[in-house]
Amino acid sequence: MKSNKFNLPDNNGFFGEFGGKFVPETLMYALEELENTYNELKDREDFQKEFYSDLSNFVGRPSPLYFAERLSNHYGSGSIWLKREDLNHTGAHKINNTVGQILLAKHMGKKRIIAETGAGQHGVATATVAARLGLECHIYMGAEDVKRQSLNVYRIKLLGAEVHAVDSGTATLKDALNEALRDWVTNVDDTYYIIGSVTGPHPYPMIVRDFNSVVGQELIHQSKDSFNSMPDAIVACVGGGSNAMGIFYPFIDIPETRLIGVEAGGNGISTGEHAAPLNDGTPGVLHGARSYLMQDESGQIMDTKSVSAGLDYPGVGPEHSWLKDIGRAEYVAVNDDEALKAFHEVTELEGIMPALETAHAFAYLGPLMKELPDTANVVVNVSGRGDKDINTVAEIDGIKF
Amino acid sequence: MNRLTTTLNNLKDNNQKALVAYLVAGDPDLDSTLDLMHLFVESGVDIIEIGVPFTDPIAEGPTIQKAHDRALKNNISLKMIFDLVVEFRKINDQTPIVLMGYLNTFISHIDLVESTSIIDSILVVDIPGELSLKDYGITNPNINTISLISPTTTDNRVELIAKNSTGFIYYVNLRGVTGSSNLNIDEIKNNIQKIKKHSDLPTLAGFGIKSANDAKMLAECSDGVIIGSSIVEMINESSNSKEFARIGEYLKEIKQAIS
Repeated sequence: MKSNKFNLPDNNGFFGEFGGKFVPETLMYALEELENTYNELKDREDFQKEFYSDLSNFVGRPSPLYFAERLSNHYGSGSIWLKREDLNHTGAHKINNTVGQILLAKHMGKKRIIAETGAGQHGVATATVAARLGLECHIYMGAEDVKRQSLNVYRIKLLGAEVHAVDSGTATLKDALNEALRDWVTNVDDTYYIIGSVTGPHPYPMIVRDFNSVVGQELIHQSKDSFNSMPDAIVACVGGGSNAMGIFYPFIDIPETRLIGVEAGGNGISTGEHAAPLNDGTPGVLHGARSYLMQDESGQIMDTKSVSAGLDYPGVGPEHSWLKDIGRAEYVAVNDDEALKAFHEVTELEGIMPALETAHAFAYLGPLMKELPDTANVVVNVSGRGDKDINTVAEIDGIKF
Repeated sequence: MNRLTTTLNNLKDNNQKALVAYLVAGDPDLDSTLDLMHLFVESGVDIIEIGVPFTDPIAEGPTIQKAHDRALKNNISLKMIFDLVVEFRKINDQTPIVLMGYLNTFISHIDLVESTSIIDSILVVDIPGELSLKDYGITNPNINTISLISPTTTDNRVELIAKNSTGFIYYVNLRGVTGSSNLNIDEIKNNIQKIKKHSDLPTLAGFGIKSANDAKMLAECSDGVIIGSSIVEMINESSNSKEFARIGEYLKEIKQAIS
């Protein structure tokens, strides 16, 4: 149990002034139904047993905490440890949440599963758990992302789900979310919406965080075993923020651990072409929650820019906004070119090819390791593996297959 | 008493049903919107509902989404919509105007909303109905809070929402986005009766009304109807010629059907 200060959200779904339930009336009952189901099940022994059994036998948890020796030497001071979420079944942290939410869907008797996806990892993770239970599954994906993540699109189709390319707006993750919400409004009686990040209306930011916080819980034990103390810093990339929230949350009450979220700086914060609302946004309401947003002075949501489809989102989970405002977590940004450089560096030095999203977290090690003492233990959350990004990276490097 | 309450009271006294017509401000351009607003009134429309364009209109079907996109290409802001209504009010000071949109655009221009006397109500699609506009800093006494009640609204929420509403209650006819089809008249009838137990306010029915016949059936179990997507579609079809007379004929036909 967290101390009272961190035991959020409150009953209305707020983390301080962030969060809430800003949805059309038709969805209110569905959110209440979900919240009631979750509150009833979450601490029940049989539910916990089923969830942790799936995490261990289907996902392959716990994921290792791996000492990155050559990367540590490369930076010359401190020890860099990798929390290997890339080794999970389907290749990213996203599966932790979908394994949990599909259990909720099963208990609620829902026959139809929908989800939005950016990089495609959440789409794959959702299609995977739906296939396992034999449930009809529809994945909404921005048409732009369908193009740049064609490998994951095909994986989703192989898993028996239908991919709906979304053309509206900017044809990226935010528009996929819009379309998934519209599907849910229409088919609310028999449909379960598995939101893939700590975003959206209450209770989603709480549920997704809770299911993903298995990552941070494991890390507490692994840190003791590996270096006999708590980490000096944890670094994670932040788009919607689910991998970061999952690893941060169990550490919120451990003040000696710095929590550092890395947003997508795109072409650079000063150019305005980025996806870093915590660095350069203002509070507003989008997709059911109040949080920091990329918006213009009229409250219109701005286009975002990032080489990484999974970070290319104008909002961020409300709990991150709150952690930023109370000063418990730090949020920085890393540009496309720095992330790409880190992608190559980690692949070559460690034999681990990170997702472009994850590469943003790695790219911040440069400035971070310089300011930390040689005794520091730093954990990078390796949120996903990079196979899905090979086409994007090859294209940037001018290589045609 | 504001224009909306006056109009709804008059309709009730004369045993008439309300016709509410929707368009998106700035689609295809602001001059056309102004012309259309006057055409609406000439064609029997009692209340004008102006859609405030937003980049992420989650409750809208494809027809109205595209209208929002077209308006945003014209850089339509809430300020420009208020200026448009100023122009409209130079000729018409009676017809109530409801702004329908999403919370983020309204809270970004709260100063405009707080000081207006030319707008009569704001309908925010994405705020929970048990909260009122006051909870978001909108305290202007001239502004009515119109809340939505849908087929999935539970009984205890109907009571809470009814208590918080002023002006009228907007009953959403179906599970779905604007412009959907398949109206279930029996369900609508039952739900509106349920609302009536908790509120004396007029209850108007919207979403999915595509013809004069739909409007006629719904007017029989409600205090009026709201027509949106079918008008927006016709506006788009005439966006080059700017000949909107056909829309006037359509609205007259609906007004006739619900009278």
